[in-house]
Amino acid sequence: MPAAVGGLESAQPLRGVTELTIPPDGTAAPGPETRLAAEYISHDDQWQLQEKDHTNQYAHIYFARLQRMRPRLVKRCRQDWPQLKVVSILAVPEGAEVVVIGTVYKDMKLKPSILDEYVKDRAVGQLLGHTRFTSPEDTIILEDESARMPLTGDALTPGSFVTGVVMAVRGTAVPGAEGFHVQSCCFAVLDPPKAMPKPGDDKYVAFVSGLGVGDEGGDPLRLALIVDYLTAQLGSAAEQSSIASKVVRLIIAGGLMHSTDSLSQATTHVKPRQQAAALAPLRETDMCLTELAGAMHIDVMAGAADPSNHSLPQQPLHRCLFPGASAYPTFHRVTNPHEFTIDGVHMLGTSGQNVDDVAKYSSHEDGLQLLGACLEWAHLAPTGPDTLTVYPFKNSDPFVLNQAPHVMFVGNQAKFQTSLFGSGRGGPPTRLVCIPNLKSSGMLILLNLRTLDVHPIQFESQMEL
Amino acid sequence: MASAPSGGRSHEDELVEVELDDGLDDAGEDEAGRQASEDVELHLGEAGRNWERPPAPALDERIDGLVFQQLDVDYYVGPPDKQLYHTDLLEVPILRIFGVTEAGNSVCLFVHGFEPYFYIESPPGWGPDECDVLCNELNARLAEQNKSSRQTRWCLKAMIETKQSIWHYQAQGKKAFIRLTFATPLLVAKARGILQTGMSIASIGFSGSFMTYESDVLFALRYMIDRNIVGCNWLELPPGSFRCTSTSLKVSHCQIEVHANYERVVSHPAEGEWVKLSRFRILSVDIECAGRKGHFPEADKDPVIQIASMVTVQGDSTPAVKNVMTLKSCAAIVGAEVMSFDSEAEMLKRWRDLIVESDPDIIIGYNTSNFDLPYLIDRAATLKVVEFPYWGRLRRNCLKMKDASFSSKAHGTHEFKEITVEGRIQFDVMWAIIRDHKLSSYSLNAVSAHFLGEQKEDVHHSIISDLQNGNEETRRRLAVYCLKDAYLPQRLVDKLMFMVNYMEMARVTGVPMSFLLARGQSIKVYSQILRKARQRSMVVPNLPKIGATPDGVGYEGATVLDAKAGFYRWPIATLDFASLYPSIMMAHNICYSTLVPSPEAKQMAAEEIVRSPSGDCFVRPSKCKGLLPEILEELLGARKRAKTDLKAATDPFMKAVLDGRQLALKISANSVYGFTGATVGKLPCLEISASVTSFGREMIMHTREMVQRRFCKANGYNADCTVIYGDTDSVMVDFHEPDCAKAMELGRAAAAEVSATFTKPIKLEFEKVYFPYLLVSKKRYAGLLWTNPDKHDKMDTKGIETVRRDNCLLVRNVISTCLDKILIDKDVNGAKAFVCSTISDLLMNRMDLSLLVITKGLTQDEDKYKSKNAHAELAKKMRKRDPATAPNVGDRVPYVIIKAPKDAKAHEKAEDPIFVLEHGIPIDSQHYLEHHLKLPLTRLFEPLMKNSNELLSGDHTRSISLGKASQAAGGIMKFAKVQMSCLACKSPLGPHHTSLCPNCQSKEAEIYQRMLGNVNELETQFGGLWSQCQRCQGSLHQDVLCTSRDCPIFYRRKKVQKDLTEAHSLLSRFQDW
Repeated sequence: MPAAVGGLESAQPLRGVTELTIPPDGTAAPGPETRLAAEYISHDDQWQLQEKDHTNQYAHIYFARLQRMRPRLVKRCRQDWPQLKVVSILAVPEGAEVVVIGTVYKDMKLKPSILDEYVKDRAVGQLLGHTRFTSPEDTIILEDESARMPLTGDALTPGSFVTGVVMAVRGTAVPGAEGFHVQSCCFAVLDPPKAMPKPGDDKYVAFVSGLGVGDEGGDPLRLALIVDYLTAQLGSAAEQSSIASKVVRLIIAGGLMHSTDSLSQATTHVKPRQQAAALAPLRETDMCLTELAGAMHIDVMAGAADPSNHSLPQQPLHRCLFPGASAYPTFHRVTNPHEFTIDGVHMLGTSGQNVDDVAKYSSHEDGLQLLGACLEWAHLAPTGPDTLTVYPFKNSDPFVLNQAPHVMFVGNQAKFQTSLFGSGRGGPPTRLVCIPNLKSSGMLILLNLRTLDVHPIQFESQMEL
Repeated sequence: MASAPSGGRSHEDELVEVELDDGLDDAGEDEAGRQASEDVELHLGEAGRNWERPPAPALDERIDGLVFQQLDVDYYVGPPDKQLYHTDLLEVPILRIFGVTEAGNSVCLFVHGFEPYFYIESPPGWGPDECDVLCNELNARLAEQNKSSRQTRWCLKAMIETKQSIWHYQAQGKKAFIRLTFATPLLVAKARGILQTGMSIASIGFSGSFMTYESDVLFALRYMIDRNIVGCNWLELPPGSFRCTSTSLKVSHCQIEVHANYERVVSHPAEGEWVKLSRFRILSVDIECAGRKGHFPEADKDPVIQIASMVTVQGDSTPAVKNVMTLKSCAAIVGAEVMSFDSEAEMLKRWRDLIVESDPDIIIGYNTSNFDLPYLIDRAATLKVVEFPYWGRLRRNCLKMKDASFSSKAHGTHEFKEITVEGRIQFDVMWAIIRDHKLSSYSLNAVSAHFLGEQKEDVHHSIISDLQNGNEETRRRLAVYCLKDAYLPQRLVDKLMFMVNYMEMARVTGVPMSFLLARGQSIKVYSQILRKARQRSMVVPNLPKIGATPDGVGYEGATVLDAKAGFYRWPIATLDFASLYPSIMMAHNICYSTLVPSPEAKQMAAEEIVRSPSGDCFVRPSKCKGLLPEILEELLGARKRAKTDLKAATDPFMKAVLDGRQLALKISANSVYGFTGATVGKLPCLEISASVTSFGREMIMHTREMVQRRFCKANGYNADCTVIYGDTDSVMVDFHEPDCAKAMELGRAAAAEVSATFTKPIKLEFEKVYFPYLLVSKKRYAGLLWTNPDKHDKMDTKGIETVRRDNCLLVRNVISTCLDKILIDKDVNGAKAFVCSTISDLLMNRMDLSLLVITKGLTQDEDKYKSKNAHAELAKKMRKRDPATAPNVGDRVPYVIIKAPKDAKAHEKAEDPIFVLEHGIPIDSQHYLEHHLKLPLTRLFEPLMKNSNELLSGDHTRSISLGKASQAAGGIMKFAKVQMSCLACKSPLGPHHTSLCPNCQSKEAEIYQRMLGNVNELETQFGGLWSQCQRCQGSLHQDVLCTSRDCPIFYRRKKVQKDLTEAHSLLSRFQDW
């Protein structure tokens, strides 16, 4: 099969892999390999929407968020600034240093609004081409249940915050001056991850995102190579036995298909032939997933362009889209965000919308910084619902983080990045992983469950016909 | 000289006051109720932060002078101040001038000694003796009428002066007039009545009636005219010219209170350093009332629950006082002062304290003259808070309120409560905007969206009571809203520069600022004519009122050349007459004082007179220069200077003042012509207005002829030019020149050549070309306007983009998008395609509902409408459903037209948009097509295509979505049973299927995806819409309450909730496991 495809000779599999590289002499293990198993517990219940009620307003989310975060912030303030009083915005005295807890609202001139389409002269051109909407005039406002106050002071750089972050600020209301002069600020404390489970064998969880099936600019061969690699149809027997057989699960962090826009436009009448063409990527994806599901457990999360609902949390992709793969019990359609424990390792991740949206409205540039910011803020998607569409939860905000996971991943990023994030409050650090787009990077990420080490495996193919 | 009995008791212990007499005809002034109520000594509560003005310096009247900007002038009648006015009268008029010093201290100046007067024409041969007789006779007659009065004399003097009437050219020059002086202004009207009806004086053998002159000039204005004081200018009292009142004796709340004789007040013309503005204080108010369910708040039943006040000092960018007073407790608000009260009466009293202490010069608000202020006064009366209505500047004067109405051609009649707040100018921002701007809606929301570019949260009055009855947090919510509503008028005033512009207008026209809003245009012109006449020793007759002429009697209006309709894809030059009517009046010396009645004209030499095309004659300027031309010359000259200064100015404030001034000058110049033609006005003279328009017509014709004769092939030009259209003061010329720059050159040449043939200062100017130009018909056109050949300036439309309020947004959107495509993109086919797709969207029921909403004001109780109006019927229907949210009188009723049985009457098809959304009632798209889109579209596209009906029929109109018949729609559907059908082919589903029938099962993924696409689009919208509302209301943690139906997303927001729930439920029919 694919192993015999012309041009494979020039493929450079496994570049940059260290511990995984098998010496070429290849002391081949005899006989068929059995894939290792891992204990898997899903924590996706919180993201599964049983009934969808859209009569709620977004204020509930902010309210619940502040309610949940406040006790934790109060606790932290008592530790960090024991001498200061925590007051509500209305009770801020003039001239005395106090601590105030509230939700950030960032006033941004360039922030797009749905009202813009009604205002002709606020030219669309002004906003076109903007990938981020920050400007030097942005200001930060702190709001609690009762009031708002503008925050001032050099200790605060508006660029590093986004709307929706809950924080405690320490400072003074200067008499006669507008606003609250901030000395410093802090965020809710995240419980450190549980101690790592007792080390066992090397086992790997594979991550991939942005397959981009159906993208004409993409390279279908790369995906085929990855499928073959994971299903142990590629590479030497040694490689198969020491790596492929140890990959216990594959997480597809969104971005299955290029786009299904042409199909989903409710308004256009699509001719049967176009219809068939538009469905082709879906079929192709199903074939690919079927093959994978035949070999291992796979968790499929929906991404921004995938055929799931648009707002977060995205619900599992529907069974009917993947008639082939759905027949396998190893095929798991999961929510985005996706949270689970595998062999005692706690993982949490998204397909990228949360991080990408924060990037548009802050000065944070790279994915790792953004992931770190989410952990620091103790919130998975602070810009929802302001600029990120989320479901209008009633009296709850499931995106609030209580405990740092062992692994936090985000899909569909521009480049592969990884680092360790330590809260400095005990417990093991959190492994942060940015999973790049397969389409542009050709990368599969393997994560060692024992060490939390991360190994990118790059697949490249140059078809020269 | 009339002698008067001397002596008389002194009444200094009593203050008898008369309310400001400002009715244009002072006849029937009633004297009842002018006794001030007994002395009410106000006990003020503790002042809040920044309430008080900066402390006033102590004045030493021998050393210090006093300089201040006057803002309002009125008068009262009281005992004379014998030091400053030597008289034996018991009651004399005393002027009060309110103003502010540069440092921001309030001033009340009492001016003594000025006497009311007017003129009559002296019968031939009268001398001082006859005058004395007349004076005595008038005295006797007036004494008869004023038996109850203690006055000693009434008519004080009758003196002969040489004057000239401005009415008609007076070949013989000046004549003898008698100036009659009276004790008080009220007597002027009475004496006028006596003189006009006629009298006989046996002793001198006179019998007859008199024509009176300047007998209807308001006393305060008379004083200003005679002393060269114009509205809002600076006055100075040199040291030693005035007397201060000691604090304990002050009768006003002003910080500085002084008295002076009228001759000692020095007036500074508003020039040079005197253009500055003082630091006057503006108070902006908004109140909230707790209405009962289903009723608009009524002052005798419903309490005032909150009053928000903002005090801003002129020149400062942020308010000095931000105060909100609430009934019952209210949580604190950052940056504002919250005062809570348990009793409404206490709150009202405290608010009065705020006004007295912060002492605003100008009170603004949105619709305050009709709602907020009358409501407060009525409410205080209901609660018997007798101390309340004393927040005028005068300590002992109770506020007075009466019904008044104001009617004008442009805005119709509107009724309002006239409240006299002495010394404080009321400026209702809503009325200022209605007068100055043409908008589709004048709600505060629509206005702030238009001018400030932001939507305003709108809390429905049925929710207000709920918020009030909640806890201190909900009341706080309301208070924040109330504060915002008080701040918006101030921001509008700043943004539209109302203060600067209105003060400049007051200065230019010479009337007090308070006249500008409360009165029509005519007083402004009248004031200028009076001033000019006085300079020339002329007098203005008080003509008997001729009343409104029946329709059709009048004169021929401006001319409009026939429009050669079409779409011109090349430049069309526009030649404009600059200030057409003013320049005609100047060029031909057209004035009251130059008009020669035709019998006399026959006797005059031809070269002495100008005959207008309408047949009226005016003497040439060499013989006698007219008043109106002189006024106009001054106005336009001043405007030119202001514009030059404006260019040179660097200081933004100076720029604003100068721009305000040049605008005021322009408006004033243009209103002179209208003044002469206003048949119900002060001084109508149809000979003048008819002559002016006839000259205008002639000039347009002449221009057309000359341009077409001159710019033709015969004279070496590339093509024969044509005049394609001409309106009042402009002519559109098609030079058949494709190049913009060249067309401009030709335009300039044509303008210069034609101008040369006109009498100065008439000037034809070339300013712009339209390129391309869509000429639909008379008074309807659109084009891109170019003033330089590189880039077009803007799109200019006339008569096309209908801003009529009762049109739905759909029409406006379609027309303006079409114009964009046609004119800017030059893509006629694109415009057609857009129309087709819009019509298709409409028929397929994909239209955003807010585009289809029509609104009409409910002007009276719905039962009182005689004929069945759609909106009134709907209001009735809504009242049956829920009286709490049903529209009340004064509200605007929004509705959409729904599908109804064939024979349904038009008014039965109107339905509440919210109800339509909630129940999924289908829209009558055909109605919108036929009655709303058809006419404007065919009109617009007529010049562009042979058969514009194609747009309204054709392929795109063939697919129609019928919409799901809903049970709410009534009819047979009430009895229908709903059965699930296949989501793809609509065939009924068997018991084991929930989404698709067995035949369609194979297409499951595809159909699922299509449904999903719909869900996704709606989810995106939901996020965008609701988070916008959260931002707009300025709070994340509180639910959005806004019910602003003017907001473009109000209906969408509601619709998306419903659609999304529905779309999700459809999607969930695809079973997953």
